[in-house]
Amino acid sequence: MSGTAPLPAIMIAGLDKFYGGFHALKHIDLEVRRGEKIVVCGPSGSGKSTLIRCINRLEPHDSGRIVVNGIDVNDASSNIQDVRREVGMVFQSFNLFPHLTILENCMLAPRLALGMKKAEAERLAQRFLDRVHIGEQAAKFPAQLSGGQQQRVAIARALCMEPRIMLFDEPTSSLDPEMIKEVLEVMEELADDGMTMICVTHEMGFARRVASRCVFMDQGEIVEIAEAAAFFEAPRSDRLRAFLSQILH
Amino acid sequence: MPFDPSLAWDSLPRMLFGLANTVGITALTLVLGLAMAIPVTLARMSPRRIFRLPAAWFVMFFRGTPALILMYLVYYGLAQLPSIHDGPLWPIFANAFACAVIGLALNHASYLVEILRGGLEAVPAGLVEASAALGISPRQTYQWVRLPLAMRYALKAYQNEVIGFTKGTAVVGVITVVDLTATANEVFERTYDPVTPMLTAAVLYWCLINLMRIGFEFADRRLNRHLAAEEQRRRKPVAASLQPALARWTGLAAPNTERAL
Amino acid sequence: MLISASEAGYFQQLARGAVITMELAVSGYILALIGGAVVGLVTLLPNRAIQAVWRVYASIVMGVPSLLVIFLFYYGGGTLLGGIIDITPFEAGLTALVVVYTVYVAELVRGAMRNVPRGQFEATAALAIRPVGAWLHVIMPQVVRLALPGLVNIWMIVLKDTALVSLAGLNDLVSHAKTAAGATKEPFIFFIAAALFFVVFSAVTLRFSARLEARFGRGLAVAKA
Repeated sequence: MSGTAPLPAIMIAGLDKFYGGFHALKHIDLEVRRGEKIVVCGPSGSGKSTLIRCINRLEPHDSGRIVVNGIDVNDASSNIQDVRREVGMVFQSFNLFPHLTILENCMLAPRLALGMKKAEAERLAQRFLDRVHIGEQAAKFPAQLSGGQQQRVAIARALCMEPRIMLFDEPTSSLDPEMIKEVLEVMEELADDGMTMICVTHEMGFARRVASRCVFMDQGEIVEIAEAAAFFEAPRSDRLRAFLSQILH
Repeated sequence: MPFDPSLAWDSLPRMLFGLANTVGITALTLVLGLAMAIPVTLARMSPRRIFRLPAAWFVMFFRGTPALILMYLVYYGLAQLPSIHDGPLWPIFANAFACAVIGLALNHASYLVEILRGGLEAVPAGLVEASAALGISPRQTYQWVRLPLAMRYALKAYQNEVIGFTKGTAVVGVITVVDLTATANEVFERTYDPVTPMLTAAVLYWCLINLMRIGFEFADRRLNRHLAAEEQRRRKPVAASLQPALARWTGLAAPNTERAL
Repeated sequence: MLISASEAGYFQQLARGAVITMELAVSGYILALIGGAVVGLVTLLPNRAIQAVWRVYASIVMGVPSLLVIFLFYYGGGTLLGGIIDITPFEAGLTALVVVYTVYVAELVRGAMRNVPRGQFEATAALAIRPVGAWLHVIMPQVVRLALPGLVNIWMIVLKDTALVSLAGLNDLVSHAKTAAGATKEPFIFFIAAALFFVVFSAVTLRFSARLEARFGRGLAVAKA
């Protein structure tokens, strides 16, 4: 290890993951630098969600290494806890807590995981809700909001832990078309602020504008990694070319 | 445990006779209860208060009253009323077996009304509209779309209710009907062995209840085939385990929260 | 209907019986609630042996009338305990109700647990909330909400099942009603009175539970509207 190179935000080496006999991730290598925005795309079942769920250990991997900000992601529960404090996650189905208000949704983790005082957590939550332009809805319950609003709350909720890395698992896939834009805008603002991000998404416009690099996965493998322009304009593999032609028409 | 196998064997014929009575009461209650429940359900769902309110009272009274009290009320209580005692139906109300069936059927019907109503209301309005848009008459829509779907939705609730009241038939002994529980009591009083007859009866009840469950599950699989296909599509490949098979054999489905037991 | 002085005396007896009925129902329900919650959570552990034992046990208890269980504990209880202790009707009834309804509560809790979406567990994990906090603040409130209608239902059934304990000799509301009916030759009025006690209590329960559900369902009711 050289002492001069800055520590990567995420280092994945030789990662394998099985579901029973099914080889879901095949020997994945990926390094994400600080501040980088990675877009992961690929057909359904290609392992892209599984990959990012391994990063915060919602899925345990079977072999290989994952290091997040210098913390080894392994069985040690203290490590898992530390990694999850560093890494925020946004889900396809929002997963807001239905029995808590928007504000309470955002306050819960800072209070329970960081031991923050109530007033302080409230200020923090309000700040991030304002940042995703939904501060005035703080007293409402998730079910009273539109899908786009709920997803913005979910982003604010993750940001309240002040993570250094954000994972997005198809954040716009269950949204109506007219709501996708408001969520992507929030994500772009976040990217502009220098957040390290890994986004599983099929929003190719977003990928072009924001991604530092794009990753194409198929059948549990990383088939191609390239900078956004090259990724779209000059795909090297047939599989990516076929995928892009399907998704872009 | 002081279980006496030879006593269990000797008392088995009597026990089976008691079981036959339990089954007979259950079957008659099913039929009578359904016959009572249909008009009450229609009244309960009527837009007119004059029908709706009495139906709601019917449900509230007969659902809230323990079956034991209904037995006493129908057998002893009604006999006191001159209109019953001197009326044309007295031969029925003088008969303990008939009273047991009537009391249980009133109780069963009151549950059935809520189950039927729940099923009918669960049919999505869109389906009824689609049927109407296809030019199908309201009556035919009811017969071919709403009712068949309501039956499918209500089946699980109906199963739980039927199994619940089958176990509830154990109270008929208090008005001299000799069902399975009453037979077990007789054997106990004759032999002073409480454990053997009660456990023998328990085994027979268990067999009856689980036979009924198997029957219901068979009906469920037939009627709800379309749901099974959906379920299979949603199921993850790794999720298959020993549990479903075990659940089928022990007859334990996930509890349905609505009504129970 | 006019009530004579002697009948008024019987109604006082009925009231005393009603207190015993309520004591039995409330204590039985609370114990079944505690037992069911514990058993329900323990049997959710991913342990094959626990699962198998639970399936068999629950199937037996749910396949037998509660009256038979009451008789078994009342008549057989002394024998089963080696004849050392005499079991009172109240104790036998309470034991039987708790044994039976612990199973129903446990099954309800298990069902509710399974119906909490996976995403809720994953969201707490991703937010670095530790299991105890997640259970207390996220999972349990949702389990309670999902189980509430079923719990109310079980309460009503426990209440009605207490009537059965009169057959094991408990001097409750039903047994006093029966005595009064026999002594006064007025069975109709006394059995109606006993029935109304139960009807009123289930009506009150329904009122109360509607309010309770509204409270626990805060934030969820709007989704249905």
